[in-house]
Amino acid sequence: MSRQINIYHLYPSQLNLYGDRGNMLAISRRARWRNIELQIIPIEPGDQINFDRCDLLFMGGGQDSDQLLVAADLKKRQAEMRQAVEIGMPVFAVCGSFQLLGNHYTAVSGEKISGLEILDLYTEAGDKRLIGNAVISCPLWQPAQTLVGFENHAGKTYLGPGLKPLGTVLYGFGNNGQDKKEGAVYKNVIGTYLHGSLLPKNPWLTDYLLTKALEYRGQDSTLEKLDDSTETEAHRAAVYLARSWRHRMRSSRA
Amino acid sequence: MNAMQKDTAKTGGFTNRLFQIKKTGAIVIGKALIAFTRLLGRGGTTLPGRMAIRIKPDLSELLAGQLLKGVLVVTGTNGKTTTSALIKNILKAAGYSCIHNQSGSNMSWGVASALVDAASVGGTITADWALMEADEGAFPKIVQDIRPLGIVVTNIFRDQLDRYGEIDRIQDAIGRGLQVQAAGGFQVVNADDPSLVSLDGLQGKQRLTYGLEIELIEDSFQNTGRDLKTCPLCKKELTYERVYFAHLGHYHCPTCDFRRPRPDVRLTGLTIKADGSSLLTIKTVDKQININSPLPGIYNYYNLLAALTCAVALNIPEATVVKTLEIANPSFGRMESFTVKEKELVIALIKNPVGANEVLRTILNRAEKATLLVAINDKIADGTDVSWLWDVDFEQLATRSEQLTATFAAGLRAWDMAVRFKYAGLDQQQILVEENSGTALHRALQATPPGGKLYILPTYTAMLEIRRHLNRMGYGRPYWEDR
Repeated sequence: MSRQINIYHLYPSQLNLYGDRGNMLAISRRARWRNIELQIIPIEPGDQINFDRCDLLFMGGGQDSDQLLVAADLKKRQAEMRQAVEIGMPVFAVCGSFQLLGNHYTAVSGEKISGLEILDLYTEAGDKRLIGNAVISCPLWQPAQTLVGFENHAGKTYLGPGLKPLGTVLYGFGNNGQDKKEGAVYKNVIGTYLHGSLLPKNPWLTDYLLTKALEYRGQDSTLEKLDDSTETEAHRAAVYLARSWRHRMRSSRA
Repeated sequence: MNAMQKDTAKTGGFTNRLFQIKKTGAIVIGKALIAFTRLLGRGGTTLPGRMAIRIKPDLSELLAGQLLKGVLVVTGTNGKTTTSALIKNILKAAGYSCIHNQSGSNMSWGVASALVDAASVGGTITADWALMEADEGAFPKIVQDIRPLGIVVTNIFRDQLDRYGEIDRIQDAIGRGLQVQAAGGFQVVNADDPSLVSLDGLQGKQRLTYGLEIELIEDSFQNTGRDLKTCPLCKKELTYERVYFAHLGHYHCPTCDFRRPRPDVRLTGLTIKADGSSLLTIKTVDKQININSPLPGIYNYYNLLAALTCAVALNIPEATVVKTLEIANPSFGRMESFTVKEKELVIALIKNPVGANEVLRTILNRAEKATLLVAINDKIADGTDVSWLWDVDFEQLATRSEQLTATFAAGLRAWDMAVRFKYAGLDQQQILVEENSGTALHRALQATPPGGKLYILPTYTAMLEIRRHLNRMGYGRPYWEDR
């Protein structure tokens, strides 16, 4: 019997900025290449969600106006979602959703929007956007692997004392442009500002999520090796560009 | 620095002279740089303007103020270049002279470069009109600088988010530009785009709208990115009776009374003829016009309507407008073709998912075997974030892979494109990667048999590189002579 995974894609029509489609494509192709049956279930606002059937929850980035709509809807599912996270449900959240998983978001006006309180972090609206290529060193593997992506956020995120970042910033701004931390990891929840799309150029992270989803479903989580020469080359080229003088002159706090 | 400025302000005569010197200096240096960069085989559309406005920040204002009839500005995500090319042709056919930042250099320095290029060394300009294409982000500043009589806004799509932040911010920028336009002017706005219709900035200005009112075109391909789905007033989801593409269509808000206005200029009839041209029936406030347009695709109907509506606002005789629109050529880089060594080479600029999807759809519909070269750069003019490649439906290529003789990924982001091809479903062995655009062009030409076709889909700066290579090989005119 072939292995199966269900991915819940949260609010695909609202949270779909920055090529999030690439993340879904990466994960579904890499599952299919290994004969894992993968089903992507789109969740729209107001839908009933049964987290028992979800092996990986994917949340993308949205524009400000859509995000408020989404936050209000998501708040209704807070308790169930936290429960699922505690027993190890994998979650992958990018940009706006990463902020939404935190305790609160303070807008420029000083207004506090409360988050899902799944990750112990908070975000403050910054006056300048942090934009550019970013490379981080990520200790999910031993030895640490690099992840490369593109960040574009006005919010500055600060992690609570017990929360681990996804990685240490080598090039770019990271969560807030100050503490060299990027993203956050709690149990099987990964939050990050990196898009680009992130997963296609960092195939080891895609495989990490697949492994966690298979484990969570209680299935054999060994993944056959694939020919990743194109992805690895793209990763290398993107890291090279992020390090280059040409790029660093341009990446700006616009 | 500040203290110095205060000092010179006290001595009036000196300031005047300094003012004159700075203006002349800025123009002379700008002109010298234009000549120099062209000598190097470049267009001279960025650096000269940048230097000139650094020396004299209000140079554009000074030069634009001298135009006999005034300034027109075209902005929006897609269709700026085609729309402004159409308007320029109409103005010329009506007997006006016109300055135009044609090669798509549409930041404030591109506008300055075009004006400096047209001015005499003494800083005099004698043209009737300046028609300027403005980048959405630079739009408020450009409006403030050159004070347009007329503004045309085509649409707002997801484009180069790295430069503008999110779509809300692009909308904001366009709104601010419309606000600062001086009273007495006019605005031409796409009625089918809910994000534009809701923008105010109308005080003392006239606004004309245009839109499609034709049956939906049969279409196998679903567009991916509907960027703006919520009501701009109450944020509830909009209901669409018709979607022409992405979020353009006939919409209304089920909750508040926001709805598509009835456009002043409407496309009411469409017949696509065997030669690919379209017979259009267009209704304006008081008459019906028939145009046989050579430009293919829904996006071009919008471009044509925008140009026509602008001509209506300018009271240009109908016969002149129709005659011009019927002989329109695809604009610079927008589906341009060359014949190189008995091979047909077609260049189509891509810069965002909606535009790129339309281009892919158009070329795949031609159902012929061809070589494909996609060249992706990530310089500022291209957008430094290449995420958008994942929102383009390259999957359509995989379902028609038998149509591809060879597939090349080129440019600074060649490898990103190669990964995109791979995950679109193309065979990894089939994807040829060559970061250098010039070398990629040569290899792609070699891979194309005589009589065959090569489609080149570059981002903006990659297109300039490829054109430069073609010019060196003796094909096509340098783009700055293209006027």
